Amino acid sequence: MKVLLVDDEIKFAIMLSKRLALRGIEVDYEHTGEAAIDKVKQNKYDVAILDVKMPGIGGIELKQKLKGLAPSMKFIFLTGHGSEVDFETGSTEGSFYLAKPLRIETLIEILHGLTD
Amino acid sequence: MESPVEIQNNEDLTFFGKVNASISHELKNILAIISETAGLLGDLTQKAKRDGKIDLELINTCSNDIVEEIQRGFATIKHMNRFAHSVDHAIESVDLIDVLKLMINLTGFLSFASKVRFDPAEPIDRTIRTCPFRLQNLIYQTLVFAFESVGPDGEIQVSMQREPNGDARFSFSGLGSKSTGPFPADKIKKIAASIGAEIQAADDSRSINIRLPQFKEKSAR
Repeated sequence: MKVLLVDDEIKFAIMLSKRLALRGIEVDYEHTGEAAIDKVKQNKYDVAILDVKMPGIGGIELKQKLKGLAPSMKFIFLTGHGSEVDFETGSTEGSFYLAKPLRIETLIEILHGLTD
Repeated sequence: MESPVEIQNNEDLTFFGKVNASISHELKNILAIISETAGLLGDLTQKAKRDGKIDLELINTCSNDIVEEIQRGFATIKHMNRFAHSVDHAIESVDLIDVLKLMINLTGFLSFASKVRFDPAEPIDRTIRTCPFRLQNLIYQTLVFAFESVGPDGEIQVSMQREPNGDARFSFSGLGSKSTGPFPADKIKKIAASIGAEIQAADDSRSINIRLPQFKEKSAR
């Protein structure tokens, strides 16, 4: 399984990617939507984990752009808000929505569910 | 129909809520980093038990990161506390530089925040008698407009001077052209009027000046 993690909180992205790597998941991470688009142009990913609120291109808009580049890619949204509105937006988008701080076991379970 | 005073009060609550939401988002991000870093330490411990190898450098990095994030959290809570207490007194003597710095820090939590270069004023009289909460709202809304005008990769400049008559003048320059609406919007005009402040936006909207007088009774909220 190959995952692209996009979050403007650099330390969060680094730590989470290390934890996923220790569980056998190949992870690339980026801190901006623009860099993520470049990454998807050059690599194939099974799942993208996107922070909703980012400078420039936010997670929701980024999903649309990435979907155009890689139609089979699955998406998980991360949010620091975790409000009802956020979860509704996530449901509308047909993607999984996880609030920070997240449980790694939940994330792993969803990742396997999306790719099995 | 709402009276102007009621509209103003709604604006106050909206501003208070917006700032608190951005602070809670910042705190959640901090906790998320601490959570993942602590989780990674747990993962490394389990790995060390299995493999008998310890990555001391990574453990040290994790430890330092947790300390840094806790400091970031303390700083955020300090800003939150100062903002919360800004409603304690309707009118009081406020330190203009402190208010400006606090608003720069609080707007920095917004996802679209750009860089702010703040030129500290000369060591002149930094205090003025005004409504601290409304002044904060006015500066915050101006910074938000400035951020929108340059985008998250841009940079704006902020400075504060004292006029010979004792008025304070805040200057926001280096603004761009990405904003969708004019400045000031009606709600910002009302905030400014409530503390007797005058807003001057350059014709090309690349700079904004706000002149703030000492509070006079007739401009009370």
